[in-house]
Formats: sequence, C-alpha cells, structure tokens
Amino acid sequence: MKAVEERGAAAAPSPSGSRPAEQGVVISRGLRVYLRTMMPQDLEHMSAWVDDPFLERMVGSEFLHSYKHVWDKAPAFYDAVLNDPTQVALVIEACRGWTKPVGVVRLFNIHLLEGYAFLETIITDMRAMKRGFGIEAAKLIAYYGMDVLGLRRLEAKVYEYNVLSMNSLRRNGFRQEGVLRQAGYDGERYWDLVIFGILKDEIEAVRRRDKVYLPLDPSEGNGRESS
Amino acid sequence: MSAVATEERQDRQTSEGSQALGGLTRLRLAGPLTAATAPQFRARVRDAVDRGRARVVVDLQAVTGLDAAGLAALLDARRFLHAQAGGTLVLRANPIVCRALKETGTIAAFALSHGSGT
Repeated sequence: MKAVEERGAAAAPSPSGSRPAEQGVVISRGLRVYLRTMMPQDLEHMSAWVDDPFLERMVGSEFLHSYKHVWDKAPAFYDAVLNDPTQVALVIEACRGWTKPVGVVRLFNIHLLEGYAFLETIITDMRAMKRGFGIEAAKLIAYYGMDVLGLRRLEAKVYEYNVLSMNSLRRNGFRQEGVLRQAGYDGERYWDLVIFGILKDEIEAVRRRDKVYLPLDPSEGNGRESS
Repeated sequence: MSAVATEERQDRQTSEGSQALGGLTRLRLAGPLTAATAPQFRARVRDAVDRGRARVVVDLQAVTGLDAAGLAALLDARRFLHAQAGGTLVLRANPIVCRALKETGTIAAFALSHGSGT
C-alpha cells in the first residue's frame, strides 16, 4: 500500500453497503478506512466530539481543545486549519457501515526541513474502536507523511493509561522512546506521558510486512514497556 | 473545495516589474494550496519540465491558504527544478504565503520575487 494523492471525491469507494463520499478529497485509502480532507461541514461533527469527556481523557487532543476553547467552535477554525503550514488534518471515514466520520488523524508540528512531525489519531465513535480503524488511519497518514511530505520520523505521545493507543502504535511499528513523568493532568491527578517514535525505514518495514492486513489481536500485553 | 487554478505562460518581456523573470515560465495559482490541491500543482511542475521548461516562476499572489502539504509541494518543486539542467524556481508570494514560509523557517529555501506580477 502506498500513500496516494487522489483528486476528486468521485474517487471515494462505494462498495455495496457503503455510502459514497459526498465531500472532500480522498488522500489515501486502506481496507477499512480512507482519509479525506476536512470540509467546513465537519465542524458539526467536531462540535460533538469536543464535548465528549471520554475523548478528552483518553486523547487530550490540543486540536479538539483548541476548537472548543480557543476558537469557541467558530467556523473560522476550518480556515485556520487550512492555513496552518505545520499540520495536515484528515478525516477518517470507514469504508463501509458508517454514516458519518469515525475520527480525525493528523500530522502536526511538522518540520519539513528537518523531516519530523507528531502524529495524533482520534477515533471518535465508541462503536468504531477496536476495529482497526485507528491503526489503519495512522498507518495511512504515516505513509502520506513519508511519501508526500518527505518526513523521516514521527512521534506520538500517549497517556500512560491509554493502553489501546499504545498497542495501536506498537502494531504500526512505533517504539517506546521514553516517558515524560507526570506531564499530563486530568483535573484530578498527574499522569505520565509515554513517548513513541518511528523512523522512515521502520515505516517501510511495516509497509513490507503488511502486504495483507492482520486481524486484530484483542490481548496484546498491557501498558507500557519499561524504558 | 476551491481548486488551485493554474495558468501558465512564458514570460519573455523585460518590463520593469518582471525584468528578473524574463524567459521564465509562470505558473499562476489561485485558491488554497493544500493536501487537496497540491497534486495538481505537482503535476503542472512535472508537465512544465517535460516540455523543457525548467525555469519556473510560481505566482502565489492569489493563493488563499497554505498547509504543510502545499508547502511540501513547493519544496519538492524547488528540489525537482534545481535538479534539472539550468532549472530554477522563483516564488511570487503574497502575505499569506510569506507568513507560512517564515513560520516554518523555509523562506530561506526559496528565491522570492517582489515584482508587479503583471
């Protein structure tokens, strides 16, 4: 699988049981999900996502936080995203079975000259979790970052209690690189943030490995590695 | 979605405003240069080179947005054109583009033109 830049929403998949992509430009496509560009209408979905306390606790997304608290859910947020030369934010759509987006994946703090960026994957629909959507979305945008943006390194931060995200990153070849002790605060107590990273050749190794997608393994260890 | 509309022309005149641009091929872009539209721009650059035009001015005066994908496309165009014999890339940037280039520290990577854009 290779990250592709496709033009036109007509390129979106429409197999039996799926809905056609009515908007946006499909940037990359996998077996379970595809990634498309954000549209102004997506702010409607985001307005619901930013009020979800579960997402706030598990992801603590600056992206969602900014939309809610800095932009006060203003439509201008869309233009701000579109005008941000340090990020690419894409909407995750399930290939079939869903009537609305299942999340957002983005590369942010992109340093094009140095070739690195940060990855954030947010699956917003509880029913969409543990279906491999987040894993595949992260994989697709990692390929996009490498193939199209020329990145050579990606980083991700995860709260120490977010085992699902840590396992997703490991499945995509990320390695734990360190722990930021008590760097996160959830309003009640401090939590460690676990740092993951992956290099270009490791992303390539994952791409070679994943000629066929593996089924999800529900039990993949528990929590972080000792670092 | 507003597409990046491109218009291409060969500049031969050496008027005051475009003196530095004489003999260059101009690609004029309008609208956002983002993940959605960058592929079109990349294709236009490749097409220009295929037709033996590796000295290119990209006119970004009418660009309304620039994300990391758009910026990456500009950097790739620079790399690609400079790899051609006699190839060069000049950007005619507006304040939106200038701000993005400064913010990302990439402004030094480009040759900028401040001509009239006529």
